[in-house]
Amino acid sequence: MSSPAVSLYLDPQIRDWVLFPITLVMILVGILRHYVVLLLQSSPKKLPKAAIREQRALARSQILRATSANSSIPPTFYRSISIHLAAAFDAGTYLKDGPPKGDAPSTPPNPMSDPAAMDGMMAGMKTQMVMMVPQMVIMGWINFFFQGFVLIKLPFPLTLGFKSMLQRGIETPDMDVRWVSSLSWYFLNFFGLNGLYRLILGSDNSAADSSQTMMASPFAGAGGQPGQPQDYVKLFKAEKDNLAFAEGTYSWMGDDVETRLLRKYGKL
Amino acid sequence: MSLSSALETLANYRAHNTRASQDIVDKGKPLLNNAASKLGDDAWSFLEQLALAAIEIGDLDVADECLRQLGEKFPESPRVDILSGIRIEATERPEIALKFYDDLLEADSSNAAAYKRRISVLKRIGKIEQAVTELSEYLDTFYSDVEAWVELAELHSSCNQYTFALQALSHALLLAPQNPFYVLEFAETAYTANDIPLAIKMFMLAIDIADRHDSEESIPTGASVRAWYGVKLCCRSLSEKPSSPSASDTPFPKNLNLLDELATERVLTAYSAAGKEGAAGRELVLSWMGPSDRSGSRVHFVR
Repeated sequence: MSSPAVSLYLDPQIRDWVLFPITLVMILVGILRHYVVLLLQSSPKKLPKAAIREQRALARSQILRATSANSSIPPTFYRSISIHLAAAFDAGTYLKDGPPKGDAPSTPPNPMSDPAAMDGMMAGMKTQMVMMVPQMVIMGWINFFFQGFVLIKLPFPLTLGFKSMLQRGIETPDMDVRWVSSLSWYFLNFFGLNGLYRLILGSDNSAADSSQTMMASPFAGAGGQPGQPQDYVKLFKAEKDNLAFAEGTYSWMGDDVETRLLRKYGKL
Repeated sequence: MSLSSALETLANYRAHNTRASQDIVDKGKPLLNNAASKLGDDAWSFLEQLALAAIEIGDLDVADECLRQLGEKFPESPRVDILSGIRIEATERPEIALKFYDDLLEADSSNAAAYKRRISVLKRIGKIEQAVTELSEYLDTFYSDVEAWVELAELHSSCNQYTFALQALSHALLLAPQNPFYVLEFAETAYTANDIPLAIKMFMLAIDIADRHDSEESIPTGASVRAWYGVKLCCRSLSEKPSSPSASDTPFPKNLNLLDELATERVLTAYSAAGKEGAAGRELVLSWMGPSDRSGSRVHFVR
């Protein structure tokens, strides 16, 4: 194995012309990327009223269900709301395109055919491209010019397990793990600069999350899947059953309120 | 008055939604020229506040200047559009304002503020029926707007449609179950609709919510005084007519006598504690309550 006697001498020129430039370029590219993403972001698309209604219909019954065990409204009113919602869910009143006609089989809508969904996906892809392209260019640059360079020596010893992490691009089994290669320095920066970006650009910048989004595929990572359409027909059917369950657990807060009050004021 | 203290007052008004239009205009007028350079990011909310206040007290020149500055900064903002709509309402005929809001809604059918302005114009020109229809339609989409539900209830009440009012209020209760004032309003509407058993239950619920952290000795204040009054009224009405109808099939409360006694006691506590200024009212309340035996036996009414 490597003996401490065998030591490398690092030319200070490497520090000045390789180590610092790589770090600086990565920081600057991160900042640049932040502003490019800002430019690319299109304002969120406005939903038409019918679509909002469809989206929020579920919230209505969820609000009703959430308090059903200790509801603030009397039984008559609870039941009338519950029955009304269940009937509306059953008939599909809240669906964006009106109640379904006939017995047409409900197929999940194809995301590619809906222009609104496509827009969301394209926005995600654009952001992804801005993330990926500069990283690939920098990596190519480092690979081309500085392949096999040893840049720094860590001031602490490490086990052999770190060899693949710190000496990528240098295939020497005997070198001490403390030496860091240029490609590994790139990766260390890539994952380690988030804190710095957060200091420079604020906490919600788009440069910092590069390492996270890099791992995800461009389709999955597109901001909480805005393009993924939901099958409201199915959701409404399920919500109807939930409503029936909730009605079973319903009780009114006012049922024994007089006993509670009289107890509190010591009359009972 | 120094600049900084004026700004602080204005910011305070904004934060608490205080309606002190005259004061806002007095304080804000000197700041109007080049507000953006003087106030920085605060300028825009200040201009909006000043514009609304100026429209309210009829200082339309100030309002127009505010609108001009806001319009330059945010050319297509829906918020500025609404403000211009209010400016139109101030001078033009209601039809023109309605047309303006219609155009806004045509451009963006999800503009909640435009709906609400439209409804308020309809209400103002007396088209209650149309206002109710549009408000229901609005709430069908924007369900979680508690204040709109309360407004719908008030519109229904104004037409003596108490059942519908109660239904609207029950939505408000679902959305804000922690607010005793909505429960109180529900109770009062039920009382007006002559559903006394429901009303007494809701009055008690209001007390239960408002008094949650009070102890037995504490003095009832605010919503709970009114609610105790309500309980007292309902008790009296129920003991006069023990078979009063309940549209909502609410069961009769148990221990009606004890409740009556407790309500009397609580209302009197509230009046006794009010100090000297409450003393005059106290006599009236006492005579209304009838000669009650505070030591805890049955309360007798004087009719």
